[in-house]
Amino acid sequence: MTTDLTATTGLRAPTPAGALTSPSGRSPRRPTLEWIALHVVGISLALVFLLPFVFVALTSVMSNQQTLTRDLWPQTFEWHNLVDVWKAPGFTTWWRNTIVYATAGTTLTVVSSFPVAYALARFRFRGRSLAMGVVIATMMLPPQVVIVPMYLVWAQQFHLTGTLWPLIIPMAFGDAFTIFLLRQFLLTIPSEYVDAAKVDGCGDFKAMLYVVVPMAKPAIAAVALFQFFYCWNDYFGPQIYASENPGAWTLSYGLESFKSAHHTDWNLTMAATLMVMAPVIIVFFFAQRAFIEGVTLTGVKG
Amino acid sequence: MAFPKRILAASAVIASVSLLGSACTGASKGSANDDPNDEVTITFWHGWSAPSEVKAIQQNIDAFEAAQPNIHVKVVGNITDDKINQALRAGGPNAPDVVSSFTTDNVGQFCSSNVFTDLSPFLEKSGIDPETTFPKPLLDYTQFEGDRCTLPLLSDAYGLYYNKDAFAAAGIDGPPKTLSEFEKDAVKLTKSNGDSYSQLGFMPNYHGYETTTTHYVAQWGPTYFDADGKSTVATDPAFADMLTWQKHMVETLGGYDKLEKYRTTFGDEWGAKNPFQTGQVAMAIDGEWRAGFIDDANVDFEYGVAPFPVPDDQADTYGKGYLSGTIIGIASTSDKQNAAWELVKYLTTDTDAVVSFANAIHNIPSTNAALESPDLDTNDAVKAFIGIAQNPDSNTTPASINGGAYQLTLQDLGYAVESGKQTDLQSSLEAAAQQIDTDIAQAK
Amino acid sequence: MSTATISPARRRRGRNLARNVAFLSPWLVGTGLFFGYPLAATVYFSFTRYDGFTAPTPNGLDNWRYVFQDYPFFWPALANTVWLVVAMVTLRVIFGLSLGMLVTKVKTGAGLLRTVFYIPYLAPPVAATMAFAFLLNPGTGPVNTVLGRLGLPEPGWFNDPSWSKPALTLLALWGIGDLMVIFMAALLDVPTSQYEAAELDGAGAWARFRYITLPNISPIVLFAVVTGVIQTMQYYTQPLIAGKVASGVVGGSGQQFEPGYPEKSTLTLPQLVYNLGFQRFDTGSACVIALVLFALSMLFTALLMRRGSALLGEV
Repeated sequence: MTTDLTATTGLRAPTPAGALTSPSGRSPRRPTLEWIALHVVGISLALVFLLPFVFVALTSVMSNQQTLTRDLWPQTFEWHNLVDVWKAPGFTTWWRNTIVYATAGTTLTVVSSFPVAYALARFRFRGRSLAMGVVIATMMLPPQVVIVPMYLVWAQQFHLTGTLWPLIIPMAFGDAFTIFLLRQFLLTIPSEYVDAAKVDGCGDFKAMLYVVVPMAKPAIAAVALFQFFYCWNDYFGPQIYASENPGAWTLSYGLESFKSAHHTDWNLTMAATLMVMAPVIIVFFFAQRAFIEGVTLTGVKG
Repeated sequence: MAFPKRILAASAVIASVSLLGSACTGASKGSANDDPNDEVTITFWHGWSAPSEVKAIQQNIDAFEAAQPNIHVKVVGNITDDKINQALRAGGPNAPDVVSSFTTDNVGQFCSSNVFTDLSPFLEKSGIDPETTFPKPLLDYTQFEGDRCTLPLLSDAYGLYYNKDAFAAAGIDGPPKTLSEFEKDAVKLTKSNGDSYSQLGFMPNYHGYETTTTHYVAQWGPTYFDADGKSTVATDPAFADMLTWQKHMVETLGGYDKLEKYRTTFGDEWGAKNPFQTGQVAMAIDGEWRAGFIDDANVDFEYGVAPFPVPDDQADTYGKGYLSGTIIGIASTSDKQNAAWELVKYLTTDTDAVVSFANAIHNIPSTNAALESPDLDTNDAVKAFIGIAQNPDSNTTPASINGGAYQLTLQDLGYAVESGKQTDLQSSLEAAAQQIDTDIAQAK
Repeated sequence: MSTATISPARRRRGRNLARNVAFLSPWLVGTGLFFGYPLAATVYFSFTRYDGFTAPTPNGLDNWRYVFQDYPFFWPALANTVWLVVAMVTLRVIFGLSLGMLVTKVKTGAGLLRTVFYIPYLAPPVAATMAFAFLLNPGTGPVNTVLGRLGLPEPGWFNDPSWSKPALTLLALWGIGDLMVIFMAALLDVPTSQYEAAELDGAGAWARFRYITLPNISPIVLFAVVTGVIQTMQYYTQPLIAGKVASGVVGGSGQQFEPGYPEKSTLTLPQLVYNLGFQRFDTGSACVIALVLFALSMLFTALLMRRGSALLGEV
């Protein structure tokens, strides 16, 4: 073994978008046995990964009598469960609230974070590394660290608990994770583009808006998706701020109390679970590329 | 040119200003200067969530609005105690004016923190003498160290539900009165099926829904705190006796692991697949409301209700049980306290209101007048529970400054004992007492 | 001094300052209001007795002493976190790397496989946890049903204190998609020429992995481990929901849910903030836990920034 074999070459810019569609294909002559083994392992694992979805789906169309028995296959297919779940009190309200929270939160986050990320990527100023350090620190900060004083402020100064406002308003002030990811991407845009725009008489803001934003569309799509799913999945936030008002519950919070609040049984609970999972999976199929791109952006230097 | 420092200084100023702001003002305090005859809307929070119960409380509210047309009530249901505590601290226009809670656990917290306002001035103003209006045990659990910050809104008693068909099949004549009879019956009613059961006589595990440490130990007549407010779980033999008996029942009926596994086949306590209603267990501890649930579920067997059996050496106190109840109070942050009082007064003291609500949700009425009322539904189940509620030996868990924390400590000990993790009973009881005292000192 | 004497360079600097502040303003305000202020308040509250209602009164180190000496949930929660860091993070990294290697090697149907492995990561945590609590129900869940039919032992999963964390680990392994994609991208980045050279030297599969793959992707492994540790310290929704569903204690009964069911085995530090701050209203002690959480998170973040600065880009 020679030394240059073990030398780390460092990471090159990734090709994330291609990652999902173009497999590597290194060795042209791979033994058939290895091919079979890989596919057997891959396919069996894939089946295991799908099983939870299958069981949830099967349970969601079982009769109430059959849940909590050891029969795995529905004796009768009660398709109406999937309709009935929408009639459960509050279910449509939770949907509406979740969509409002996720849409407003995502829009505000992206709009407020982009200029910050742009400044951190492009402008040179004293304290920039300190600012990046604070961004990374707040990105890694568990929300529980500051929740107690924040709750008291929202509750006692603004009387906004029981609504989703304490979750939405802070998103108008930049989100560390979004800032970080956008900055990583913006560092890869050559400054010549901006300089050219400035020669044409654009100010910094216009240059950002008309030159950089269009180029950053893939990254914006990725961070928007992340933020959308963060809001969609958020349980702790609604638990703290919205739980005291059933009219402000979101799907994540409502689902947890679904079973107890409505004394419903497992079949309807699983139907509701399926309905909460479905949108993220559907969105994924429409936005696969942006997703994978975003995930690799989180793990690899841009 | 120290740009970041300047920004840091500015945020430090903002921070200290807001810190002082929130630290010094706290929550806004409400007042009782409102005129109850004004046109006003008050907010009422409750915890009921089953459709029949929600309907019943709404009917009750409708009747109040008809009687007091100037007061409108905005009702919010399905609220837990955590949320109540949270919202009462927040105050503000969306916070509730009137709040009810299913448990008496947090009365100590509600009263001592002043999140509920003292009701004595209101009672006096309306000429209501609580001593003659409400039964004594209910008066006790709705106050804390002399501070009457809540009133009882119906009450709960716990007893034994038994499946008469299963009893007949096993050749048992009537409900057991002592714990040794109970044990024999439970064994007779248990049919093992491999590593599970086709029918279990009784689910003794502490997670078996209402089979909690506090509900059990009521049969031993415990005191939880001595005159100095120190925990007595290590010195009152009731606790050691109860834990020992329960562990014995667990072993007798098949062991902890087998019972726990069977427990996970049970449906939701409040759903149609409650294990007593499905026949998975033949006897259960439960509250008076269960009768209503069973009747609604159209079960295919006859059931009976009796007081839960007592220890053999206390056979003369048969008839007692654990008592609790829903409580209601007025938020101290409310600035419509006089209007709020009108609602509380109506819900808790108007005989017709109390009786009709008790009938609707199958609870026990909470005033002396309502208990005597001819309009009260008196089927056998209700009669049995009224008997338990009026038994002088029945008892409850006392209010504590940190709410139900001491009960959780006791529950934790119970889990450790039933699963066999904790075998040195006395020293673990002493540790529990120590923990309860430390937690209370921390809360003071 | 008149404005005319200000040098153009200085004026530009002034303009730049205004521009920088303008671009950064949302974040500057947000960081002050939603990070700086609450952090300062948390420190202050941790030295006070405060029920969130009546004004706080200083009580020295009482809360700190209570949390470290007497609060029965603190040490179990910390022990659980260590368990999860050791087992869950390690297994996730190993499994994520293995899956990443699998999907980079598979040729036929690779896109479909990647999608299948990735999707569970997207399932909302509450929904995924409820699904697992149902699937792993010891008495009637499909998993134990299948195990029973195969004649295998049927664990108590979320109902058994020694199985609840392994059950959570299964849930975390199901949601491996994020790590798989990160490792996949890193693996595709390893220069092919190195492998070809090694194959000419007669290096076996293990030697190629050990001496080429691993050194090339080691920064990513470090990144996965450290972010895994930080995520574990924030672990909240899954253990809470699993405990709630499995305990059978439901809202509306007036019964209290005991945190960390079964037997404190699923307690994590963030749950303690909720328990103390929003159930017991011992705001001071809740802030002590929050500061412990803060210190631990910052420790590992500092590690990430020192050792993994290549990953975070030039900071």
